Amino acid sequence: MLMTAMEFAQFPVLSAILFSTLLALLVILFIPDDRPHLVKQVSLGFAALGLALSLYVYVAFDPQKGGLQFVERVLWVKSLGIYYFLAADGINVPMILLTAVVLFTGVLTMWELEKRVKEYFALTYLLVAGVYGVFMSMDLFFIFVWYDVSLFPMYPLIAIWGSTRKEYGAMKLTLYLLAGSALILPGILYLWAVAGGTTFDLFELQRLGFDVQVQRIAFVMLYLGFGILAGVWPFHTWSPVGHVAAPTAVSMIHAGVLMKLGAYGILRVGMTLCPEGLVYWADLMALLATIGIVYGAFVGLAQTDLKYVIGYSSVSHMGIVGLGLATMTVDGINGAVFQMFSHGIMTALFFSAVGYIYDKTHTKMIPELGGLSKTMPKASAFFILAAFCGIGVPCMSSFWAELLVFISAVKTYPVRGILAVSGLVVSALFMLRVVQKTFYGDKNPKWEHIPDVPLFLASPRIILVGILIFFGLFPRLILDIIQSAVVPFVNSL
Amino acid sequence: MMKWTLFTPELYYVAVASVFFVCSLEKKADPRRLYRWAVILAGIGLAVTVACTRMEGFLFFDSYKVDLFSQVFKVFLALGMFFVVMVCSELYGIEPRKHGEFYFLLSICTLAMMMLVSAVELLTIYIALELSSYSLYLLVPMRHRADEYVETGIKYFMVGATASALMIFGMSYLFGITHTTYVADIIQKLPDVLGQPAALVGLLLALAGFFFKQALFPFHIWAPDVYQGAANQVTTYIATASKMAAAAMVIRFVGMSTGQSEVFIQILVVLSILSMTFGNLVAIVQKDIKRLLAYSSIAHAGYMLIGILCMTQRGYSSAVYYALAYLVMNFACFMVIIKVAPDGHNLQIKELAGLHKRSPLLAMTLMLALFGLAGIPPTLGFTGKFLVFAAALEKGYLLLVIIGMINATISLYYYLIVIKAAYLLEPVREYAPVRVDAWTRVMSAVLVIVMVYVGIFPDRFVALAEATVAVLP
Repeated sequence: MLMTAMEFAQFPVLSAILFSTLLALLVILFIPDDRPHLVKQVSLGFAALGLALSLYVYVAFDPQKGGLQFVERVLWVKSLGIYYFLAADGINVPMILLTAVVLFTGVLTMWELEKRVKEYFALTYLLVAGVYGVFMSMDLFFIFVWYDVSLFPMYPLIAIWGSTRKEYGAMKLTLYLLAGSALILPGILYLWAVAGGTTFDLFELQRLGFDVQVQRIAFVMLYLGFGILAGVWPFHTWSPVGHVAAPTAVSMIHAGVLMKLGAYGILRVGMTLCPEGLVYWADLMALLATIGIVYGAFVGLAQTDLKYVIGYSSVSHMGIVGLGLATMTVDGINGAVFQMFSHGIMTALFFSAVGYIYDKTHTKMIPELGGLSKTMPKASAFFILAAFCGIGVPCMSSFWAELLVFISAVKTYPVRGILAVSGLVVSALFMLRVVQKTFYGDKNPKWEHIPDVPLFLASPRIILVGILIFFGLFPRLILDIIQSAVVPFVNSL
Repeated sequence: MMKWTLFTPELYYVAVASVFFVCSLEKKADPRRLYRWAVILAGIGLAVTVACTRMEGFLFFDSYKVDLFSQVFKVFLALGMFFVVMVCSELYGIEPRKHGEFYFLLSICTLAMMMLVSAVELLTIYIALELSSYSLYLLVPMRHRADEYVETGIKYFMVGATASALMIFGMSYLFGITHTTYVADIIQKLPDVLGQPAALVGLLLALAGFFFKQALFPFHIWAPDVYQGAANQVTTYIATASKMAAAAMVIRFVGMSTGQSEVFIQILVVLSILSMTFGNLVAIVQKDIKRLLAYSSIAHAGYMLIGILCMTQRGYSSAVYYALAYLVMNFACFMVIIKVAPDGHNLQIKELAGLHKRSPLLAMTLMLALFGLAGIPPTLGFTGKFLVFAAALEKGYLLLVIIGMINATISLYYYLIVIKAAYLLEPVREYAPVRVDAWTRVMSAVLVIVMVYVGIFPDRFVALAEATVAVLP
């Protein structure tokens, strides 16, 4: 794969997506303070543009051809070998689509926001720009830069617009995640220095190769660093607290997309550059992932706050991603990437559904709710559908993802695989318990007057449900793309 | 006679100092007029130093070297002075009748530091350093209600005098061992004898004087009190320009060992770790923003030392880049402090409450500067840390880099507390409105653009830093 210093095969669609978010940020900053509605419209417009472009990438990506497509590569800092290098392959195409969908539905979900509207959307766009940047970049320097860019808007987003111990949650989250990047940066620089200090290009580094010992050291740093963001047990504690404290759409982006950055980083940087390190540490990865799956499910069982329930279910579901990656098989990694996508959509749906309930009732405590399906059947339906998806009911996209991961997990790590499956049973139990207590049973007369969700506000949830079912019915449409990158990757291990 | 053109920037600042000396004799000098003159003269000074960057040569029996390294640092110093003079429009921390002396001492101090970065002979270095120190000894206690802050001045003087004594003692060792006071000759002779304890002790003691200026642990004790006790503008000068000269000299002196002594490197590693960790941990509990920045400066001296102790071209160039980044970010912080506390009092962090409403532009400048200091991309502070750590890893100091990064995370905590005050807290009482004139707007905008632009497009500045250190022996 030889490339010249500058290579633009076609319209630089990836840059267009990335810079449309930064442009949105600038445009929003220059809208006067007293026009909040205009801010929302502009945000929605740019989100729609991003969605359209990501759909184009998804459709135009050729899974038969595989490899890197839509490549853009420009030398950035000569003396260090930094490249502005964007490309799409089977792994990041679903992630880009996921980001665009969650952003679009997130903007719609926050349509009724009234407090400091302009700053909220500006920060959201900064966050999303960082997320896109990580997913698209194939240069270690830029992966790290965008990674950090995506982290620090979380602090104000949670601390200003959040609820429930928001300042504590925001600070904890920021410090945890930056502690993670305190491991990632040395890991990246270590690989760069060992390779001669001439290039940050991911694929050039891969070609240069590293000693087994170097790979082992670097992999564990990258795994732990990115793992904190992926909610790997025991570094997950920031995540439920942060989710609970964050406003609805930030929880959506955060649990739906940001946590995937962690898993994606492990896969893209750690596993690509340090396959030997992966072999060495895979046992530990599988162990931590299994503990995460089981632990998340059991702790979820004990929660009374709806958002905490979802927070812990995220820990559990991200454990499935980790387990899939640790199997080092085609099916396992396919399943892990697919799970990243469908968990992203599913969690977004969860938080979006809870967001509406919380906006109207001002509580998210399960004992105070109850019988909601009678007063607001539509709003309840979204949550129940998300819960089904979380359990892994067939015809929903996470069914396929979890199936693939568990089959290969049981093959590779029989004991841990079976334990993980049993964790899924517990999570089914807690999901059904939450659904039963919140939406069925006796009506709480306090909520009788609440109107059901109107169509416009329901639209983001409809989109998310549609995607979950669509890919549940036609998993090939996304698995083919993922596979085009995973098969050569596993063969090279 | 042509040789004297090499000395142009210094001569210019001598002239500026003379102008303000005459002004200080006048009984009723108008502060506004002095300010305008100071801005104009400092601006011309910056232009003069920039124009002289390409000069090269030796002066005064080879004890004074003019090369790209010294000239670039002179530009930094002139820039520092210009920055400080720019924020003197509300110099209420100092009595109006002393303004002439203030500008006079500021020019003298800048002059002394310019001589310092060019000096390549031990006694010249010592004299230049003392000249700059004595001007600062006078500037620090020069504050309204000086009796309250007299302790500050004495403390600074005592610690400074001790550091000077250690330094001249160390220089005497160096001279005793190498029989020369010329840096170029020492570099040739020192590596062979660095195994001897006397040489090592001599070098470390000689460094003490600059570590004192840099506020590196354990020479930091003065920093918090002086930052707090001196007038805001003087603190700005100490925190920016003064640090530049010290960084340049540490690079020059550490370079003398040419990386031959493991023990020497290990001592520097320990100092850098202690400095980062101590500075960051103590900064967490500070309530006064100037004290907070003082402790953070101790930590930053540690980061800078990481780059220097690599003793490679890339290490030195990363330190130069870091120094420039630090100058800009720190100045941005102090500019906001000075504007929010126009009467010159010591600003508490909680007084920043609601700054995002009182002055969105200043709040944004402060936020970017603090994120830069914490090393968050895309600011030039991030690039600085990145370069420093990259250089360290090229030498294989993995553990040191991890400790450095953990420290960066700790530092983010207290920077976030300040940002939280500016963006989240509601003011508990009515604070005086922040008056932002057009000049300040322009400066804020320029600083914001520079901080982000250089962070995103560092290529040319990295190349400049590399060219700067390429002339070092």
